[in-house]
Amino acid sequence: MTGRITVLGAGSWGCTVAHLIAQNGHPVQLWCRRADQADEINSKHTNARYLGDFPLHEGVQATTDLESVLYDVPLVFMIVPVKSFRSVCSQAAPLFAPEQYVVHGSKGIEAETFCRMSEVIEQETCIRQYGVLAGPNIATEIIAGKPAGAVIASRFPRVVKASQDALVSDRFRIYNNDDVLGVELAGALKNIVAIASGLCTAFDLGENARALLITRGLSEIARVGVSLGADPLTFSGVAGAGDLIVTCMSPHSRNHRVGVALAQGKKLDAIIQDLGMVAEGVSTTRVVHQIIEERKIDAPLLDGMYQVIEGTLDPTEAVAYFMTLAARQDIDQALR
Amino acid sequence: MLNRMRPEDQPRIRSEVSGRLFDRVLEQTKSGDHHRLAEVINDNLYHELERLRRGDCDGDPGADKSFYMDLRRKLPHASDSQQQTMLRTLLDRFVSEICGNFDERVYRASTRFMPLALGGLLTGLSPGRLLDGLDVQGSLDRHVVIDGDVEQVHRLNELGTLVFAPTHVSNLDSIILGYTFHRMDLPPAIYGAGLNLFTNRLVGYFMRNLGAYTVDRRKTAPLYKRCLKEYATATLEMGYNNLFFPGGTRCRNGAVETQLKKGLLGTSIGAYRNQITAGADKGRIFIIPVNLSFPLVLEAATLIREHLKRSGRARYIIVDDEFSRARRWFDFMRGLVSMDARIHVTFGAALDPFGNDLNENGESLDPTGRVIDPARYLYVDGKPATDTKRDMEYTRMASSRLVARYRQNNVALETHALAFACLELYRRNAAESDLYRFLRSLGPEMSLNMEEVEQVLEQLTDELQTLEAAGQIRCADAIREGDVDTIIRRGLRSFGTYHTTAVLERRGVRIHLGDTNLLFYYRNRLEGYGLLGAPNLLEGDTIA
Repeated sequence: MTGRITVLGAGSWGCTVAHLIAQNGHPVQLWCRRADQADEINSKHTNARYLGDFPLHEGVQATTDLESVLYDVPLVFMIVPVKSFRSVCSQAAPLFAPEQYVVHGSKGIEAETFCRMSEVIEQETCIRQYGVLAGPNIATEIIAGKPAGAVIASRFPRVVKASQDALVSDRFRIYNNDDVLGVELAGALKNIVAIASGLCTAFDLGENARALLITRGLSEIARVGVSLGADPLTFSGVAGAGDLIVTCMSPHSRNHRVGVALAQGKKLDAIIQDLGMVAEGVSTTRVVHQIIEERKIDAPLLDGMYQVIEGTLDPTEAVAYFMTLAARQDIDQALR
Repeated sequence: MLNRMRPEDQPRIRSEVSGRLFDRVLEQTKSGDHHRLAEVINDNLYHELERLRRGDCDGDPGADKSFYMDLRRKLPHASDSQQQTMLRTLLDRFVSEICGNFDERVYRASTRFMPLALGGLLTGLSPGRLLDGLDVQGSLDRHVVIDGDVEQVHRLNELGTLVFAPTHVSNLDSIILGYTFHRMDLPPAIYGAGLNLFTNRLVGYFMRNLGAYTVDRRKTAPLYKRCLKEYATATLEMGYNNLFFPGGTRCRNGAVETQLKKGLLGTSIGAYRNQITAGADKGRIFIIPVNLSFPLVLEAATLIREHLKRSGRARYIIVDDEFSRARRWFDFMRGLVSMDARIHVTFGAALDPFGNDLNENGESLDPTGRVIDPARYLYVDGKPATDTKRDMEYTRMASSRLVARYRQNNVALETHALAFACLELYRRNAAESDLYRFLRSLGPEMSLNMEEVEQVLEQLTDELQTLEAAGQIRCADAIREGDVDTIIRRGLRSFGTYHTTAVLERRGVRIHLGDTNLLFYYRNRLEGYGLLGAPNLLEGDTIA
């Protein structure tokens, strides 16, 4: 195998990961769906649609040829939206080799099947050695060279090591975890709380309210995660609390922007269209609602956000709804 | 075809197992990441002496105790080479216990009389009647139904080594499987059987001659456990089909296994890796999922009692169950024969050691149906490499695919359907939401209207037929045909035949409950399919 590394998906996070790998001196290939996007990355070293004028490292080589980027490559990062994850997997499936490592960075749950992305990888491809990249990663901050960190969760130590070798620098730290399920759920579920945080911002409820939202949201996320088999401690780590805090605090977060727009009375379809990018929190809210219903999990915040997304609860009433919920134990005994 | 290990291979395997572990332990103790050799030996002596102190042994522990005490006395003063000799002695002792003593005369006699005797054993006939030339074989053939992907098993047996991985219901399983292999003209599979199974001397005799080696679960010495795994690995590499029960022990609650132990199953990857690293062109080890479906289970009463006590999981070895009482066994088998009941042995689609599907040539397939080289799962930097943690993960993944096969090849029988329907009716009318209180609240005075039972069974058979059409379960003929009358008649007859108290009993137009625990046990075989909208009763403590 060559020392090349491949990134599938040229959205803001995919480009950023490719940029970090190239900065570390590794040859990196970035697979894009659109030829004009690949041309722009190769000739101007920018990806204007997702990252504006931020310059990408010149070592990032973009292409639309999936076969060439997967051939004889030991490590593949797969950073494509949840909605198209399965179709990219099935396109790539005949090109994958059993010894390859695949690390995905897609934060969401498949709407039709409730599958996590690692499950999709297992169902569609021959890949067994996989992992997930997650954490508080605002792409534009990282590409601007600001310090940050993430988690690689995998049950295969070699996958973690290879990913660390590719990504770690004096500006980017990688922690490891073997709770793939917990890290995937933390990354997906925090997007729902981020939408609620957008309401907080729009209604100018203050930072106390936001902190309350984050901590209660984290508690609910952990409850859902534990009921599905995750390690409760994962939710207090970089991929749990870390990612949740940044997503709720940062105005850059897409899901946060969805919340702001909902509070302003805009329609969901129009918001998604205006955003021009995927906000995974919207579809995750619907999926999680079903899980909560089926498993009878106590998660009023996540449930309330489902009602807001579906239009059955007015955002202005949502705040009153949340504030009048029965106050329970601060620390959930089930999570101890 | 009923032969066990080739006599000439016995010493070879013993020395291979002992030699490999000797080299591996020495290598590890020298690497600095592990304990020193003296510590390894001391740890194993401690485990053995503790076992003897607890009285976990057969007969007089004196000889064993003095053997281990002698080693322990010498250990502090032993030189490096003396420590190595001690290690070798320990390993040889463990391997020897596992392999047992091979007696060629017994072997020859067994191969000649085994088929007939086995038939008699399973149908509960006396030796005298056997010698009268009764049609034992024909009788057994009718009562043990071999179905599923039988052709594939034959084909793969020609192409490589098979690891049979059955569900585990009863201690009769290994004997039924021994008979099945014989009927299919397959060589017997080597398998580890708990020492407690040999306490029934007659059964022990057959088990040994059907390929069993002994596993003493009371032994906790780490080297003993490694010897067991290495024995399985070495025999697989040498081309002997193996039989593992991945559930580890008989399922206590009657359900199809959802949690598997990875230890022995993982030896298939170990053996495969050894074949590849030894330069074999292709490793050829195939995992064959097998479902055993019994209309009645010999040890059901003991097993479900253990499950409900919740100590069943901790109390790993049950030595005083129905299997150890010959009379119960014969009653059970006679009952099955007289009722014309059928035990189903169902072979599921085979897997490679990594859990991939196979084509008809035994080649591994990815989910798209593309042929892949499974050896490449073991590659690091372009060549096969040992990585214990990685291989454990591969085994975990293969296990989850095996569990899926078990669900698909579970055969829903009349007793399962009737028990499921009746318990669901009781559940719907229950005042209690706690499972255990609910079960305790049921008693002989409780009865169900026959018409009500028929209605629920109609719905249940409809749902089972839909699941079967989708390849998610298999059904007995009466269920497939939606013949509710036959389901009730056969179910009640079975339930009234063997168990001390009839599980369910018909009185006029009502069905009366006789044994709640057994009703729960047989109902659990259909747990987890979402039938009748019933909740999964084995997931929590609630019935809501």
